[in-house]
Amino acid sequence: MNSSYRFFYHLIRLVLGGVFIYASLDKILNPGAFAQAVFNYQVLPGELINPTALILPWLEFILGVCLLFNRWMQGASSLVAVLMTFFMGLILFNLARGLDISCGCFSTDPGDGPMDSLTLARDVLFLILAVGLVALTFHKKNHHYDDPSQSV
Amino acid sequence: MQPSALRQNFIDTIREAGLIILLSIAAGLAVNLARTDSIPFVQDWSTEGRLSQDNGDSLAISLAEAKILFKENKAVFLDARSRDLFDEGHIKGSRSLPWHEVDDYFQEALQGMDREAPVITYCDGESCNLSHDLALFLKNMGFSNVKVLINGWTVWIENKLPIEASDK
Repeated sequence: MNSSYRFFYHLIRLVLGGVFIYASLDKILNPGAFAQAVFNYQVLPGELINPTALILPWLEFILGVCLLFNRWMQGASSLVAVLMTFFMGLILFNLARGLDISCGCFSTDPGDGPMDSLTLARDVLFLILAVGLVALTFHKKNHHYDDPSQSV
Repeated sequence: MQPSALRQNFIDTIREAGLIILLSIAAGLAVNLARTDSIPFVQDWSTEGRLSQDNGDSLAISLAEAKILFKENKAVFLDARSRDLFDEGHIKGSRSLPWHEVDDYFQEALQGMDREAPVITYCDGESCNLSHDLALFLKNMGFSNVKVLINGWTVWIENKLPIEASDK
């Protein structure tokens, strides 16, 4: 893995790790408010709203920790990319439906402004970073298979 | 890359992702059990369930009751939708208090209102929550007689009740 690959690999994992941990904190602290935000999306049956509100923030937090500490990177980077794709799909779906709801992405405060094209642009950027991180993670791993003497 | 390495890559990814998901489930459930403001694992998110209060009363008001209060001019109707939607059309005589900009508009919207008088909030759609959030906000501000007209805008126009648009 050459130095520019290494630089981008570490930069992206640190940025996404920080973003995921930051995004999880308010949701972990306010599960009731986050359950309301999940409900507002109107995509899940009632029975799945609270389990999602309880587990998703911890998934974000643990993924953020994995990225920050460079651990379980194949699983973590893949899950981050899947989650970002899922979040982007949800935002697109709700923008298309014209639902006047808050994103709930970084804050559970329902008084936050409604999601808009800027919310979508931000998620597209994170998705590009996440896909880039998956590519770099597997590049690093495959490089390691080709030449086990080299590592990051 | 060798097929065996590819398979190993795949197995490692699934194993790591599975562990992360299992840890998240365990942490989410354990922390919820330990905290004082825990939420139930399964909750009634139906319209009735969401609008029932701790004392068992419902925040919801029927269209028939809302219609009587409207005709007798005894209630203030508050539109929780965006200002643009309000300008396009709203219940006649209602005031705009968009939930997403509540901090900017509440002083103007609530000016001169009696905190004991009936207030009816509405938005649009069976599962629209803006009116519910606004109703709880008003109750916290000391308004004692707040009700939510579920799917208010749609049921109002379906029943051909008086509406108006804002002057631009």
